[in-house]
Amino acid sequence: MTFVSLTELPILSLILWLPLAGTLLCLLFRHSNFACRWLALLTTGAVLVLAICLFVGLPTAPGWLIREDYAWIPTFGIRYSLALDGISLLLVSLTAVLQVAAVLISWKQKEHPALFYALVLLLETGIIGVFLATDLILFYLFWELMLIPMLFLIGVWGHGNRVYAALKFFFFTLAGSLCMLLAIITLYLIHGEQSGIYSFALESLMQTQLSPGIEMLLYGGFLLAFVVKVPLFPFHTWLPDAHTEAPAAGSVDLAGLLLKTGIYGLIRFAFPLFPHAAQQSLPLLAVLALIGIFYAAWIAYVQTDVKRVVAYSSVAHMGFVILGLAAWNQLAWEGALLLMVNHGVTTGGLFILIAMLQDRTGSRDLRALGGMWKTLPFFSAFFLLFCLASLGLPGLSNFAGEILVLLGAFGRWPVFAALAAAGVIFSAAYMLRVVQGVLWGPLGQLCKIGDKDCLHEDLDRREWLLLIPLALLVVWLGIYPTTILEPLRGPISLLLQGGGLP
Amino acid sequence: MDSRLLLLLIILPLTGGVLNACFGCRLPRQMRALLAISSVLASFVLTLICWPLAADGGTQVTLFTWLKSSGLQADIGLFFDPLAASMTLMVTGVASLIHIYAAGYMEYEEDQARFFALLNLFVFAMLCILLADNLLLLFLGWEGVGFCSYGLIGFWYQKKENALAGRKAFIVTRIGDLFFTIALLWLFALLGTVNIAEINLRATELDPLLITPLVLLLLGGACGKSAQLPLMTWLPDAMAGPTPVSALIHAATMVTAGVYLLCRLFPLVSLSSVGMATIACIGAATALYAASCALEQREIKRVLAYSTMSQIGYMFMAVGVGSVAAAINHLLVHAFFKALLFMGAGALIHLAGGENDIFKMGGLKQKNPFLFWLFLIGILCLAGAPLTGGFFSKDAILLTAFSRGDGLSAILWGVGVFTAGLTSFYSFRLLYLVFFGDYRGDKSAHHLSPLLIWTLPLLALLGLFGGLINLPHFYGGSEMLSHWLGVAPALELPLPTEIGLLALMTLFFVAGWLPAHLFYRKYQPEAETPWRRFLLQGWRFDALYERVILQPYRFVANFCWIGGDKALIDGVIEGIGRTLLHWGGYFRQLATGQVSFYLQGFAWGLLLMLGWLLLKAVT
Repeated sequence: MTFVSLTELPILSLILWLPLAGTLLCLLFRHSNFACRWLALLTTGAVLVLAICLFVGLPTAPGWLIREDYAWIPTFGIRYSLALDGISLLLVSLTAVLQVAAVLISWKQKEHPALFYALVLLLETGIIGVFLATDLILFYLFWELMLIPMLFLIGVWGHGNRVYAALKFFFFTLAGSLCMLLAIITLYLIHGEQSGIYSFALESLMQTQLSPGIEMLLYGGFLLAFVVKVPLFPFHTWLPDAHTEAPAAGSVDLAGLLLKTGIYGLIRFAFPLFPHAAQQSLPLLAVLALIGIFYAAWIAYVQTDVKRVVAYSSVAHMGFVILGLAAWNQLAWEGALLLMVNHGVTTGGLFILIAMLQDRTGSRDLRALGGMWKTLPFFSAFFLLFCLASLGLPGLSNFAGEILVLLGAFGRWPVFAALAAAGVIFSAAYMLRVVQGVLWGPLGQLCKIGDKDCLHEDLDRREWLLLIPLALLVVWLGIYPTTILEPLRGPISLLLQGGGLP
Repeated sequence: MDSRLLLLLIILPLTGGVLNACFGCRLPRQMRALLAISSVLASFVLTLICWPLAADGGTQVTLFTWLKSSGLQADIGLFFDPLAASMTLMVTGVASLIHIYAAGYMEYEEDQARFFALLNLFVFAMLCILLADNLLLLFLGWEGVGFCSYGLIGFWYQKKENALAGRKAFIVTRIGDLFFTIALLWLFALLGTVNIAEINLRATELDPLLITPLVLLLLGGACGKSAQLPLMTWLPDAMAGPTPVSALIHAATMVTAGVYLLCRLFPLVSLSSVGMATIACIGAATALYAASCALEQREIKRVLAYSTMSQIGYMFMAVGVGSVAAAINHLLVHAFFKALLFMGAGALIHLAGGENDIFKMGGLKQKNPFLFWLFLIGILCLAGAPLTGGFFSKDAILLTAFSRGDGLSAILWGVGVFTAGLTSFYSFRLLYLVFFGDYRGDKSAHHLSPLLIWTLPLLALLGLFGGLINLPHFYGGSEMLSHWLGVAPALELPLPTEIGLLALMTLFFVAGWLPAHLFYRKYQPEAETPWRRFLLQGWRFDALYERVILQPYRFVANFCWIGGDKALIDGVIEGIGRTLLHWGGYFRQLATGQVSFYLQGFAWGLLLMLGWLLLKAVT
């Protein structure tokens, strides 16, 4: 497909609504487990193909690459406007990849499969919508749309303490996003009074003249919504519960994608709309990020549930991302966005592996597991690879992002960057503890040698299919990150210069 | 010659490692070892072929750009100069021999593919350290060897202690890596480049005040990898790994990476006199500390581990007193004889039926006399017997320290000479306990693969004649290595002084050997004293770190979790929730369902409103 034909189709709408169509079809064919499963795979696969076409076909230019803009509710100046630049392209691609993975990992879903896949697809529409919308009401709509499928995914298909976790997740994010809604409406009214044109378009709202006090207040509303989602210390406590209790697909989506919507919101909406307030908030963000890196790493070290360790590691990694954003320079931002993508792949991979582990042994408890290399060598090799990527081994994905963040941050806050570098030791400490607990040592208490239940099957064909591309991605992003640094460069420098829009 | 050949140097072991890692389990048994050996051997041959490229300022070659962002450019690029070339030749050469040895040693192991994959990847990472043209690629190698070392120490992972030892090695060296990372960040912030040659060239532009902290940070990184004080506790535990691993990683190559780093950045390092003094002091202190610990070790590999630490201390001292040539010379010679000793020890452990306590060995000379002679050569080199390679290289370091003439150097020299005596003592203690007397063990010998013996003679020759690489003029040599590396040759001392020092060194060698001969020639059981235990446990640094670092770490972790997340944050959030519920309960009571109650409320409300309007009208 050439670039020309790409732009002639309403490809953004296609990519956005395709999963929703999948949702509806899933509900239609709800009696056939088989049909739903394949429908979900086909839909996510189609989105992936479209995303890859876009990624390959589009040039790496700074501004918007594709736009779609139609009137929607003219009375209130609400428009259906979608736009795609290098950053959103990358995140849409990440979404497409991880959603295929999410469907494949829940292939054997037994309870209400139709509903489950329908919700996963609905979630995909929500996430892609967030990455594409440039009208604030449209954005808010998608922002809230993500919440509902996730709530049910955790609440219905989750593990042990699922209702508590689902509600906690729901209320945390809802509280944040309501603040944002208030801020959006206030901004809309102020802008309308000033210019006489009532519009929710990001580009128009950026022109609004705000007094410093009001700007700070509105920025606070946006910030709250986004940092809860990221999550930044001390708004993170919903995350370990939600990650741990969510089903595998839910954890993959939460860690891989939902957290990224927070970062995306910050750089696309919060910073450009309120540039002065954003500048003032940077030291605070940096300090919170730094606290988060250590605080979360420390807590991760004493967890016994593998999933909880990985959940807390997400908080620590997101700390690195926020630190990079707070450094406010090209190097650090490129690193932060790269790390964001890398974290999506590695953590997504880890959650997938943990789901496989739980399928086989029925446990995620580090005290009970052990010696898996003996019984599941291939699984273990992948597990080791993803753990190493997560602890930032150079040559694998996370390192590239982390070192760019540190190099960039050192230019602005040497002491913070030096401290953050120490966070790398902490991540080695908890990640190696996981490796130790799962792979090494004698066979865990769950298994006695010669026990028949203990002879688990190593990876099957579907699992190989799932893990190999992710593993290749981890290595590829580690040794040749240029692939995604290139498309990021232009958009980032635009955002940094104007604090503005492409 | 095409300079792109250099790229094959790192690509070959990488390919071998990746092939073994991905497909090793499907390959026939012999193929795995063969693949690993041939890839490293090819690298060695290639180094010889590429040797001319190192002359005339070296050759630079780039594969592709790894990381590029505003102002930052880090390539997968290699720089082949005399320093890198010498090290590469040693590493690939010794690694080839050890790979061959390992094929014999690990003959009956399960999981050979994992072993050889990691071993090959290690060689790849080590070559990255040696050949990198920028600090980021060097760091990739730096962490890469750390990971391979982790995986290989814990190779027999089913014993928990082995895996824990691997983890300890990884984390302790990573503490050192933190300092290295900070130095890297700082250098980039100051100079805007991570290219090593450029950093060396522009080092003089830096503010002199900043150079000392920079050098100290680099030293921190070097200390972690090279097991110097205070980050040395991981090395003795690392002996849990298979013996070829100890020989390759924990004796000949990886642990010398710290020395190499300091030599590589010597133009920067040498600008700070405080930094140099610190390097020398750390080296001397470690040399003494490790030698004292080696006196009382009971396991054969732990004796050798402490001796390695001690010898690397000498190399640090050499760098600190400003002689790169002496440091590298000792590094090379040490690599030969220490690999010989470790590989010999591996054969000995097989001979003793898997026993590694030297007090349960003895009499092994009769079992394999040839091995005895080979091991003796290693011991003589380690002890610094006159005219062996170890003697010349150690002597050069002490000579440099002596010739500087200031107070600090004199103290360093004194410590060095005294440590040489200790070294001689513990070396011969080891030799006598293992080979002489009667066999004290109760296990029967394992089969000894010929590969375990026949890889050693070459190393023995190299160790024995390694002194020739940099033979000073005093002995009729021409200081080849100094010329090759392009550094200043050693200072000439007056003849009487030189002869006096020589005599002194010989004296200390004998002074170490004699008591060992007296005490250990004939085995007698030793009583355990607190002093012995103190040395055996490496001055109890492990216990100290456990109390000072690990316990507080776990305490903070639990505090953050239980006190922070659970009690404080969730407490507040759930508290808000509960408060709202509580209020909701009150408000719910208003919804009684009785129309009369609602009407009453309606009436009161109306009254209030009317009253308010009335008040407003009046005022």
